[in-house]
Amino acid sequence: MKARRHERVRDKTARGATYVFRLFVAGNESNSSQARGNLARLCEEHLKGHFEIETVNVLRDAATAYKYNVLLTPTLILIKPPPKVTVVGNLSDNQQVLAALGLTGNGR
Amino acid sequence: MKRSRRTQGRDAAEPWKTRKEVPKVPTGITGLDQVLGGGLPAGRMTLVSGGAGSGKSMIGLQCLLHGADAGEPGILVLFEERAASVRQNARARGWDLTPLEKKNKLCLLDARLSPEVVIAGDFSIKSLLAILDQKTRAMRARRIVIDAVDALLYLYDSPLRERQELYALHEWLLDRGLTTIMTVKTVPQEESHSRYAFLDFMADCVINVDQRVTAQITTRRMRVVKYRGSGYGRNEYPFVISPDGVTVMPITSNVLRHVPLGPKVSSGQARLDDVLDGGYRSGASVLIVGTAGSGKTTLACIFSQAACRRGERVLYINFEESAESMVSSMLSPGLDLRPLIKNGTLMVRSYLPEAMGVEEHLFHALEALDEFQPRHVVVDAISACRRMGSEFHAFEYLMRLLNACKERGITCFYINQATGIDVIAEVSGIGISSIIDTVVLLSHLPVGDVMKRQLVVMKSRGSKSSDQFHEFRITNRGFDLGKAEPGDTVGRSAHPTGFGGTGDRR
Repeated sequence: MKARRHERVRDKTARGATYVFRLFVAGNESNSSQARGNLARLCEEHLKGHFEIETVNVLRDAATAYKYNVLLTPTLILIKPPPKVTVVGNLSDNQQVLAALGLTGNGR
Repeated sequence: MKRSRRTQGRDAAEPWKTRKEVPKVPTGITGLDQVLGGGLPAGRMTLVSGGAGSGKSMIGLQCLLHGADAGEPGILVLFEERAASVRQNARARGWDLTPLEKKNKLCLLDARLSPEVVIAGDFSIKSLLAILDQKTRAMRARRIVIDAVDALLYLYDSPLRERQELYALHEWLLDRGLTTIMTVKTVPQEESHSRYAFLDFMADCVINVDQRVTAQITTRRMRVVKYRGSGYGRNEYPFVISPDGVTVMPITSNVLRHVPLGPKVSSGQARLDDVLDGGYRSGASVLIVGTAGSGKTTLACIFSQAACRRGERVLYINFEESAESMVSSMLSPGLDLRPLIKNGTLMVRSYLPEAMGVEEHLFHALEALDEFQPRHVVVDAISACRRMGSEFHAFEYLMRLLNACKERGITCFYINQATGIDVIAEVSGIGISSIIDTVVLLSHLPVGDVMKRQLVVMKSRGSKSSDQFHEFRITNRGFDLGKAEPGDTVGRSAHPTGFGGTGDRR
């Protein structure tokens, strides 16, 4: 299945807003570590100072994973600002992630 | 698991003992456990594959419901269907899942991936396993059904990753000792089969289900492809999905367990009893053959009426006409079946042969045998059974119904409508003649300017009978059988074509 491209760009009011992410990882397995690193880099580059990341380790906290219906790890959920976005994978495809989060054309 | 394999080796000289030692979990599905020699391999994985609408998910759900009843809680992981629609569909069958869910005997896990989700890079199902882990422990689950696992696999672009994740899942299932059913869709004539071939190797038991259409009638079949460490029924077995769920109908045993023929029962007509040397044998299979209008149904109804009056229940399966029209047409020879239907000794079931496949017809017939417990069964007419698909389908239906009757000691009357004038050639009746005990032939032929009816008993296993032709009339008081006239040659010589088939008429 090919990932769907979200071509929308967030409006200007959203740009100053704080981005709240929830990242579901499975301990320190390789995809999860990569996702953590990729997300941190992306936020530093594009959202400097305007982001919060809450990490959920599904191996410890399966209840939260169940609550959010997260079955695949790593899973990144953008909680705020709306719309809610879910990205699955180690976030290695930077362009894809930016497009999904509506951050393309918003860089630097 | 390992221990049981070792003991198996030691007891190899006594294969029957071995089979007992393979731990099995009954599915609770009628017939399936029989085919599987007791049930699914306990703590291992069974793969159920088949096309859309083939009944895979139903088998899974029924197994979980049986588990919930038998003190083995279960989890249903849904990769394709919504949990809410599963609940709703189950309710349509009279199964209310909600109380079971509340009591922690059943858990529906919606594992569908939202189409909104974006995939960016590699991922694993570790979160699913973590959730399952928690649920399994919390509810002490013993069974799990993973429905439409192919939907999960489609997320992966690479066959290698697909495999790795499935192996991870399989390992997890084995570690937890869960008895698992995994269902997978197979689309014939597509690469998907080879794509999932590795699943067949991974699973300890593989069941294929399918739905096929022959002669415009749909039939369902299932086959156990493999079962590690166990014997199993190796044939394709028909099954039905009735309102109560899946029922598999295996040939119950490979030996004939027919009950020996019982005592004589009256045919309902004193003269005919004389011809038959006292009547039909109870538990016998009787074939009544004749051309249209020769009085076959009347003969069967005379017997039914007499039997019902003796208090012996009769099941009349009619493929030709409705109960109402049969009742009204029997009034003309003076047979009133209404009181018998009313008091419950006679049950008439009318079916359109082409309405269902063989196994559904069988299912209905066998269900009636179990519920109604008749002493005698009439099938009117076996010639119509061809409309279930083909001659072969008719044979299958009739043979298996007859076997079921013979095992229960039920007298079986098969009525066959002969189409040609050479009735004898049609006695064979869809190839079942070899297991027929008694054949009664009726003919209806013009002699001069009158139609004459004649009856002859062609075969009567386990009893003496007259081999003469007997003239009879159908009057408003029933069957009026003429005297048996030993040495009378009228019957044969007057109408050589009728029974002899010398052929100058055709």
